[in-house]
Amino acid sequence: MSLHSDHRLLFGTVFLGFLALSAIIAVGPAIWVEDNTQALPASRPLTDHERQGLKVYVGEGCVACHTQQVRPIAMDAVWGRPSVPGDYAHVEPLGALSPYAPALLGSSRTGPDLTNVGARQPSETWHLLHLYDPRIVVPDSVMPAYPWLFEVVAEAGDDDVVVPVPGPRAPAAGQVVPTERGHALVAYLLSLQQAPLEGAMAGHSAEGATR
Amino acid sequence: MPAGSPATASVAPSVRRDGHERPIAVAKASLRPEPQRDTATTTLIYAYLACAAVWLVIGTLIGEYLGIKFTAPDLEHVPWLSYGRLRPVHTNTVFWGWSSLALIALSLYVVPKTSNRRLFSVPLAWASLVLINLAVVVGDVLLMAGVNNGGQEYREYVWPVQALFAAGAVLVAYNLVQTVAKREVEEIYISNWYIVAAFLWTITVVVIAYLPFYQTNPISESVIQGYYMHMGVGMWFTPLALGLTYYFLPKLLNKPIYSYSLGVLAFWTQMLFYTMIGAHHFVFAPVPWWIQTVAIIFSVGMVVTLAAGTGNFLLTMRGSFRTVARSYSLPFVLAGILAYFFWSAQGSLEALRSLNHVWHFTNFTVAHSHLTMYGFVAFLIWGGVYGLVPRLTAREPSHLLVGVHFWFALVGLTFYGAALMVGGTMQGLTWIAGAPFIESVNAMVPFWLWRAVGGSMMFLSHLVFAYNLWTMRPARAAVPVTAPARAARALS
Repeated sequence: MSLHSDHRLLFGTVFLGFLALSAIIAVGPAIWVEDNTQALPASRPLTDHERQGLKVYVGEGCVACHTQQVRPIAMDAVWGRPSVPGDYAHVEPLGALSPYAPALLGSSRTGPDLTNVGARQPSETWHLLHLYDPRIVVPDSVMPAYPWLFEVVAEAGDDDVVVPVPGPRAPAAGQVVPTERGHALVAYLLSLQQAPLEGAMAGHSAEGATR
Repeated sequence: MPAGSPATASVAPSVRRDGHERPIAVAKASLRPEPQRDTATTTLIYAYLACAAVWLVIGTLIGEYLGIKFTAPDLEHVPWLSYGRLRPVHTNTVFWGWSSLALIALSLYVVPKTSNRRLFSVPLAWASLVLINLAVVVGDVLLMAGVNNGGQEYREYVWPVQALFAAGAVLVAYNLVQTVAKREVEEIYISNWYIVAAFLWTITVVVIAYLPFYQTNPISESVIQGYYMHMGVGMWFTPLALGLTYYFLPKLLNKPIYSYSLGVLAFWTQMLFYTMIGAHHFVFAPVPWWIQTVAIIFSVGMVVTLAAGTGNFLLTMRGSFRTVARSYSLPFVLAGILAYFFWSAQGSLEALRSLNHVWHFTNFTVAHSHLTMYGFVAFLIWGGVYGLVPRLTAREPSHLLVGVHFWFALVGLTFYGAALMVGGTMQGLTWIAGAPFIESVNAMVPFWLWRAVGGSMMFLSHLVFAYNLWTMRPARAAVPVTAPARAARALS
């Protein structure tokens, strides 16, 4: 019996060893997190409309450029207080094709962090304009425009929100209104507001954290 | 396989004043190969490589286009081509379509060869090829339609699609394990440790990553995501590329590997250290602090694996650098080995909290992933392809065009990596300085332009590679020539 000449022993060791390490570093901690995470008392679940917006957010790949995690380091203080696991506890899997929580934490900050964007930028009109053409509100932005989340109608209905697109960027005729998906996405973005931390943690903020 | 005679005028010459011809590039060693008898395996391996090359061209064309979008975001407004949807199409296509198929192709040669027998089942290998191609086609179309797994990087394909890929990988694994089990040699060669292990590890990783029960909130999902995105790369592409190099390097140099034991040491430390370091993608995130710390410690431990592996390869090359210079395949291998060392070590540095502080979330990460997946993995694949295919099909590519491929890929990657490393560092420093966010975008603009320049060179080199692969295609199955017919032809 030798690892060099017994393929069952070699490949068995390789497989079971890796399985054991994976249990220690990935599956075990994930289960622990599941069992020990609760939503913050001051937070609320997403409404159905906001949940639809989250699906648009994920389907359009917004997570490729936007994080939703504030780290406990000084440079992140502009985005809010440091994120805690309870901040995410209300986010649920999106459906049968995606039975996992979506990857909201992100890995790239090509655009700003969105943890608290609903509080930082509470204007629905701003978000609609920004999604229709980001360069209307942020001239140097490199974000894609999402005109397919909008439609041009001859006359907006009473329930429609008209997007006040300025002159040169407006369509030749008619008014710009968000589609159902565009509307839901903005509702989701506006829902992104950090709930206050209560009790012992309340005094901790990123201000003054060591670099 | 010793190098053959020096090339004779395979490179267009210019004429010097004294009348002697001067080639425009250094002559490389030519082969005098004989076509392999096993045409079924040759066709199979070539089909894998041809599919891989097609995915390389498609995947990097998309990558190139994405790079251009950073400098021209209003190029078009087609939803299927928008940045957010197309980015995972780029990454998944080059991962599963290009790198995986190419590495499997070379494995389908190396495992039987080092087991001194034929592949266990050729039809089974064809089935795997169909399944993996199907996964990439369906997965890419769904991503462009806005259907993904939840935005988890490198597992954006929804589970029914990834199940196709997994089924293909399981069949290859079975095929290779059976080949090793029925080998005609006593010992299992070190290449096969790495290659078979890569399959066992990756199948485990995919199953763990796609089981939903312990990933229902974004933090537990992130714990699995860190594990997945690191193991999907480090326990798949890395061991496959290294295992193949343990075959191709000594074979192309015609000398034994410097130290078999170092290879074994690197193997076990790879499994022990690498498995633990996934959480370094979530440093400072609200995932359990202890798994971040474990990840950072083991990231540093990876230096042992890196030194053992790279040292072994370089010591094997010692004294043979003339052979490397005269070969058109070995320069790719040398570049890949050096990239493995430097850019994996870079990954260990990025895990340290002090440096992660500057580089995390910036374009520096994008530089790192390209320097490793391209500088390390793709270069070793190309070394293997140029080393193997001419010997299988008895057709050589143009030496000059192989050189064009090499230099365009290498110089392009250098531009790409340098631009995003410098730019990414500036991005991080802008944030630390507390400047308005848009300044970090403006700071990147010139670097995104240089990235597009480097990316264009890389893409051009892939077109050259695809053409070179075409010139190395197997000859059409010749009608068997009987001895009397041959004799008659010789007499006529």
